[in-house]
Amino acid sequence: RGDPSCPGPRRAGARLGFEAPRAAILPPSFPRQEEAQAIDQELFTEYKFSVDQLMELAGLSCATAIAKAYPPSSFTTSQPAVLVVCGPGNNGGDGLVCARHLKMFGYEPTVYYPKRPNKPLFEGLTTQCQKMDIPFLPEFPAEAALIDELYGLVVDAIFGFSFTGAVREPFGSILGTLERITVPIASIDIPSGWDVEKGKADGLQPDMLISLTAPKKAAMHFAGRYHFLGGRFVPAALQKKYALNLPPYPETDCVLQL
Amino acid sequence: SKAEAEAIEKELLEDYRFGRQQLIEIWGHACAMAITKAFPLPSLPRKQPTVLVVCGPAQNGAIGLVCARHLRIFDYEPTIFYPKRSLDPLYRDFTTQCEKMDIPFLSYLPTEVQLINDAYNAVVDAVLGAEAEAGEGREPCAAILATLKHVRIPIVSLDVPSGWDVEAGSSGGISPDVLVSLSAPKQCARRFLGRQHFVAGRFLPYDVQKKFELNPPEYPGTECVVAL
Repeated sequence: RGDPSCPGPRRAGARLGFEAPRAAILPPSFPRQEEAQAIDQELFTEYKFSVDQLMELAGLSCATAIAKAYPPSSFTTSQPAVLVVCGPGNNGGDGLVCARHLKMFGYEPTVYYPKRPNKPLFEGLTTQCQKMDIPFLPEFPAEAALIDELYGLVVDAIFGFSFTGAVREPFGSILGTLERITVPIASIDIPSGWDVEKGKADGLQPDMLISLTAPKKAAMHFAGRYHFLGGRFVPAALQKKYALNLPPYPETDCVLQL
Repeated sequence: SKAEAEAIEKELLEDYRFGRQQLIEIWGHACAMAITKAFPLPSLPRKQPTVLVVCGPAQNGAIGLVCARHLRIFDYEPTIFYPKRSLDPLYRDFTTQCEKMDIPFLSYLPTEVQLINDAYNAVVDAVLGAEAEAGEGREPCAAILATLKHVRIPIVSLDVPSGWDVEAGSSGGISPDVLVSLSAPKQCARRFLGRQHFVAGRFLPYDVQKKFELNPPEYPGTECVVAL
């Protein structure tokens, strides 16, 4: 229990920038799939974060990173139109939160969400988007050229770091189309279809990757222009335990460009 | 007004299907952002960036807990005083998150105000919100507010200065330096005489703003709070 006459825990200058030399030497570690899953598990079971909370912060990070790299003024389409493709799991949920924040930042997002989990969290996030007049497409644009014409950016929120095995429809065809578009793709956490550790040379080649919590091993294969770190909620003790060596976020920003 | 504030929250929860934890996370994060703008780290008078966060038993207190956690992430050193913990399981997890992030919880609030003035740079008042009944009646809130009235360091109130009537304001209650209005300013905000008034309402859907005639200000860039 704390005693008010000695405020705050002792933390030998660590929080006031004296740790800079140590942080500069060690590169960020790139957790493997199991480690990433273990970190997530610990956030939920030990730290008692709820999926709602972390998803909100993750989605906000994604939207903020997009706003930094692709400001609405940079779009050549008449509106800053963004297509957000949401997969069947948590990555899709991150995409829904991202879409909502993009709308508030002045973009015109459209969502494609073909496989929706039957859970209150996802139903709530979907309702929030719909009630904010974010359209949900009934079907995926058939041609890559159509996507190029209508949207200035595509957000890939299909598969995240838990992805294993074969890609099930309709996502196989969707990824096939996305591999042929020319407008930039911003992938949330892992470029969908990539192996979480090894990447995929002939798969999606996104222009932006927003790594959540920490960059996973697959990020070493990322060749796009913008790599951001997001999900500014990992407690210091957890970072230390997994030796994440995350660089410090600037001020109160929820994203960091790596 | 209090009725409108309740109606807005109801609409967000029932029509828009926001989750309560989600909203509290959004508000707590926004409050922390406002605090960093009102009291930037380099501007703090004390050697350590200490902040005392006083949390009441209900939703306002939970928002204070989330705010404290984000302040810690932003490199402040919050300490929490949370005497009457909510039994609501939703709010219990917020407490655990703070504890596991090594944010100390005081076991008592000193009545000797000088101790508070000396130890902290600012106090975050997350005791009572818009849902509270007017007046400072019940313990331990009454004692806390009596102490807070006499602190010399700045107070940041979350949504409603605790102890104020949501609509009429206060006579002889606490005088916060900074007010962070959640969603939209409450009527009592008109009586606010402090240095800075922030609004954390960026997440409000456009239709809700229109329906309740909120006329929100422009939020710069991707900011979630703006100073009025």
